[in-house]
Amino acid sequence: MFRLQGSKTLAVDLTGDAVKAKNGSMVAYDGRMAFKKMSGGGEGLRGMVTRRLTGEQMEVMEVKGQGTCYFADRASEINLVSLHGDTLYVEASNLLATDAGLRTGTSFTGLRGGASGNGLFTTTVEGTGQAAIMSDGTAVVLRVSPQYPLNVDPGAYIAHQGRLQQHFQSGVNFRTFMGEGSGESFQIRFEGDGLVYVQPSERNTVGGDV
Amino acid sequence: MPFREINSKMVEASVEPGRKMYSQRGAMLAYRGDVSFTPDIRGGQGGLASMIGRRVANEATPLMTVEGSGTVMFGHGGHHIQVIDLAGDTLYVEADRLLAFDGTLRQGTMFMGSQGGVMGMVRGQVTGQGLFTTTLGGHGSVAVMAHGGVVELPIAPGRPVHVDPQAYVAHHGDVTNKLSTALGWRDMVGRGSGEAFQLELSGNGAVYVQASEEKL
Repeated sequence: MFRLQGSKTLAVDLTGDAVKAKNGSMVAYDGRMAFKKMSGGGEGLRGMVTRRLTGEQMEVMEVKGQGTCYFADRASEINLVSLHGDTLYVEASNLLATDAGLRTGTSFTGLRGGASGNGLFTTTVEGTGQAAIMSDGTAVVLRVSPQYPLNVDPGAYIAHQGRLQQHFQSGVNFRTFMGEGSGESFQIRFEGDGLVYVQPSERNTVGGDV
Repeated sequence: MPFREINSKMVEASVEPGRKMYSQRGAMLAYRGDVSFTPDIRGGQGGLASMIGRRVANEATPLMTVEGSGTVMFGHGGHHIQVIDLAGDTLYVEADRLLAFDGTLRQGTMFMGSQGGVMGMVRGQVTGQGLFTTTLGGHGSVAVMAHGGVVELPIAPGRPVHVDPQAYVAHHGDVTNKLSTALGWRDMVGRGSGEAFQLELSGNGAVYVQASEEKL
């Protein structure tokens, strides 16, 4: 059971079950807890090799026990995501904790990843349960429906869930080449039905410079 | 209640004649009224012996005394500030986390070895607190800095709280702490979960934990 203690600390109540969390992110606990590192993201040998190859390495530990465990990481804001059989796409570096019942994997994002400073691959979380994702500043959740597609700055994108197609858009014109670009030459366009999580801060991206 | 939180990163304190206040040197942001700031070479209360004690213990944060009448705003480095009210009990905190405190509080230095002997000293080294920590006792308020927000966790008898040493900020009450290790063979081969050392606090009181594992 995930709940937020303030906006930057995640409290998880455990009754003998387990959660997966980013390595070293525990700040305090009461009761009895055991911490075990899961090599290569805890998806077996194949998952580990895939993660190494795709650059989506995750240092994950399994926390098991009884009591309340508190997680936080570098004072990042934490957002809770409930999954009901759908898939959450999130960067490995923005994923703080997931229910042990959720499956994690990697997927190819195409050209978007390169521009958003995330690499060409992203982490997927699927199943039924809760996950906690981190953002730099309080994230906003934007709904995308078939009538209302959404364009997002690649540097501010953190995660999305639901049935969404994404396209990479560029607004490069002659002004950009003159060095008069607006800094918003690249966007990700989401179409379909789902939610997109956007943070009020931008990572350094190739797209942000032009 | 001399401290008033303006936002999560600034506090306002009211100073009256005859009511001194200590603050970290350079932490004043603005003030109203007739207030004077005097650097305190001794680094706090007590006489020469206390000063030497603090120097030796490396707990000598540059402090200044704030006197006069008016209101002063304090803040430092954009760190989050937590105001802790003490009613007769003792707060244990690292000197560099202290932003400001009431002059009515007794300031002291505690040797980590006095709680748990050699293990206490080892604990101080592991947690980065060093061999000494600062204590504040009596009645009054303290403003403590932390990176990220602070969560207060109550400690009750029979319900000890374990804290990551890097996220530990301060504790008060009748609390004994010891370092518990969960070192396994996995840590030896570099496959540790990153939670090998924990601070176990038991007794009666509260511990303050920051939402980050970064030191100030």
